[in-house]
Order: sequence, then C-alpha cells, then structure tokens
Amino acid sequence: MIYLDNGATSFHKPLGVADAVRRAMFTCANPGRGGYGAAMEAANVVYRCRERAAQLFHCQPEQVVFTSNCTHALNIAIRTLVKPGSRVVISGFEHNAVTRPLHAQGAEIIVAGRKLFDWGDTLREFEMALRRGVDAAVFTHVSNVFGYILPIEQMAKLCKQYGVAFVVDAAQSAGTIPIDFQALGADFIAMPGHKGLLGPQGTGILLCSRQPKPLIYGGTGSNSKDQNMPDFLPDALEAGTLNVPGIAGLSAGLEYLLQADLDSIAQKEKKEAMFCAHKLEKMGFRVFAGEHQGGTISFVTQDDCEETAAMLARKNIALRAGLHCAPLAHESAGTLDTGTVRVSFGHDASRRQSLALINALGNAW
Amino acid sequence: MKFCLITFRSVTPAQRAESVLHRAGFECNVQRTPRWMEEQGCGYSLRVKFPDVMRCVELLHRNAVSFRKVYLLKEKGTVEELAV
Repeated sequence: MIYLDNGATSFHKPLGVADAVRRAMFTCANPGRGGYGAAMEAANVVYRCRERAAQLFHCQPEQVVFTSNCTHALNIAIRTLVKPGSRVVISGFEHNAVTRPLHAQGAEIIVAGRKLFDWGDTLREFEMALRRGVDAAVFTHVSNVFGYILPIEQMAKLCKQYGVAFVVDAAQSAGTIPIDFQALGADFIAMPGHKGLLGPQGTGILLCSRQPKPLIYGGTGSNSKDQNMPDFLPDALEAGTLNVPGIAGLSAGLEYLLQADLDSIAQKEKKEAMFCAHKLEKMGFRVFAGEHQGGTISFVTQDDCEETAAMLARKNIALRAGLHCAPLAHESAGTLDTGTVRVSFGHDASRRQSLALINALGNAW
Repeated sequence: MKFCLITFRSVTPAQRAESVLHRAGFECNVQRTPRWMEEQGCGYSLRVKFPDVMRCVELLHRNAVSFRKVYLLKEKGTVEELAV
C-alpha cells in the first residue's frame, strides 16, 4: 500500500513502537498507584515519555499531560479559557476539534485570515481582531486540509502584545516541525500522539503553562482525601488509569524523533508535496499549494472527490477525500461544496510514493 | 547507614526529583510514602542516604522540584521530621 493519509494518522511507525506496546502489556500494572515492581515499571514508562516529550518541546515533564487524542486536549484547553459569551479569535483554517468545542461553550467566534498561504493576510486580520478585543485565541499550526503553515511565532507575539491567552493546535505539526513551547509562550499546545509523533492511536498530549480546568474528575493516586481534583500538573488532568501501552508506544515514537532531524523530515515531506502539486497541476487538476507549505496538499478533480479516492484505493493508494472535518477551512478556500482529495506525507515520504500517485491518476483518465 | 525519606504529593514530582538527583550522582529510589506521613492520603517518596540529604534538598530547590517533607529514618523504626 502507498500510504498518503498521514494527516489522519501515521501508519508506518518505527518498529520500536509496536515492541514497546507489547512489552508494556506484559510488564506494566497501574502507574502512580502502587509501589510494587509492575506498578513502578508502569510509572517509569509513563515518566520516560513525559521526559522525552518535554525534551522535544522544551518544557518540564510535569507540563506534559497525557490525553486520549488531540481533540481531548483541545477540549481541556478551550474549556479552561473560554466561557459562554467569550470572544475568541481563530484562523480561517480550523478543524472541528477547535470550532465544535467553542460552539458548545457558547463562544463568540471571530474568524481572522482566510487567504491560503498568505501570511500577510493572516497576521493583518489576526491583529485586527486582537485590537478590537478578544478573550482568547485558538489557532492551528498547519492546516490539516491544505498544509498551510501559519505564522504561529508572530501570532504568539501578537497575543502577548495584546495580553490574550492562546492555544495552538499542533495536530499536523508536532513531530514534523520543531516547536519550542517555552519560547512560544502558549498557554496550551494540543497534539495527537499518533500522527507526527508516531505513537499508537488513542494517545495525545496537552502542554500546559497555566492552571487548567479538569475535563473529567476521579482518582489520580494523589491527594486522595480531598474531594477536589489536585491543583497541580499533571494530576489535575489525568483522572483514571492512563493508557500505558499507548504511552509506551508514544515514548518509542518520541525516542525515534529525538534521534532524527525534524527539519529534514519537514523538508522531505514538503519536497514530495510540492513535487506532487507541480505534477498534478500539469495534469490539469486544481491544486492548492503555496509558499508556506507543509507535507500536505489538496486538489480538486472533475469527478466527485470521494470517487477519486475510491479509485485510488482500488489501486492500493490510501488517501482521504471530503471535508476532512474542517468545513471552515474549505469555506475559506472555496471548496466547501466539492471537498478535496488530500495527499498527506509522513516521516517516510519518498519519490516512490509520489510517482505511484501520479501514475495512478495519469492512468485513470 | 541512616536514610531519609523526601515525600512528594504524587509520583510525577518524585520521579522528576529522582531524575535530577540521579543526574547529579546521588543514589535514590522512588517508593510509596508510609500512610501516616502523607496527610492527604497517598503519595510517593525518595529514599536517600542521610549524609546526602541536605545537598539533595538544595538541588531540588534549585531545580524547582517541590516536595512536602523530609524525614530521618532512625534506628528501631523511629522517625524524625527534619526542618529543611
């Protein structure tokens, strides 16, 4: 199979990931509860993963909170910062994982910056919204549909300048583009464990620099006599038993990335994305690609996008068509009615993958 | 050899403390805190050698690792809380 759906989840993980999951199944009990060997082994597996994530994202291990996915992490961050009626600025390329929690909280949502690959427009519109007054900002690092890399360092500076708390959705960038949590000064950064970080599904991380509001309540193995949740990290957000096998696998993915060069992974993904964009344009498709491009591109065919994806699936090429849970991004790009076919490369991006896609599309028409 | 217990509110700060102290060359290990020592119910501790304890505490302060209390484990099972 030619796998080009890394925007949904990474599929070809380093071999150590599955090994670590299996090992944890045989050696780990419940972390942070008991003091016997298997409980402490679980605690050590979990802590090693916190340390690795802290090293990759430049923070302290306690600031690394494990969640079940990026959406879970975003819900915690958004429910901490946003109250009913809060004014929240978001980019024009947000996923439903951002917009639905905001909608559910009853936030007044201000969409700023809807031109693809245009940092000038993104920053101008974003600052205008901040100047008019907002209570919080939530923005994606990379569009999951179009691979547009937003200028998050500049957006973070603007948030600090206007004293606005902010959340970064790093669903598509964590593990691919270097992120410095401390330097960025974000209140929260949410990310999945199973995409660029190469861990198993069912894992996610929330990096916290402020006191969060718990989303779920329960046992933490600490402060047991108190009926309030602990007010310290990570316990405040980790009620119930953690996904230890998943975290063990995530730890192995992080270990792989710490030994790799993230910049070279990003360059490799972008190179193949741009190669495909160029070829697809030559074939007559409408392609969305630009200057600030990550390893994902989208294109529109004359056929229904789902039919194109189904045709490619029959040729053993895996990618995703439709709205990609991001109707706002499609509305911004003018593709809400048609959807797009999305090609998303991963850490194993190669010319072989690109040529397989191009050949399959070339032979189909 | 006398030992001390440095107590923590949960396993993660105890592990961070262990990591900090190991890197500095101190011998220590994480264990459950005896029930009577932990007013809030459950917790974890680091067992360190008594002669090392003040340097360990100083190192934890320097690295902003918060702990609850320090106890000296004396002979015949008696315990004394140390003011640090």
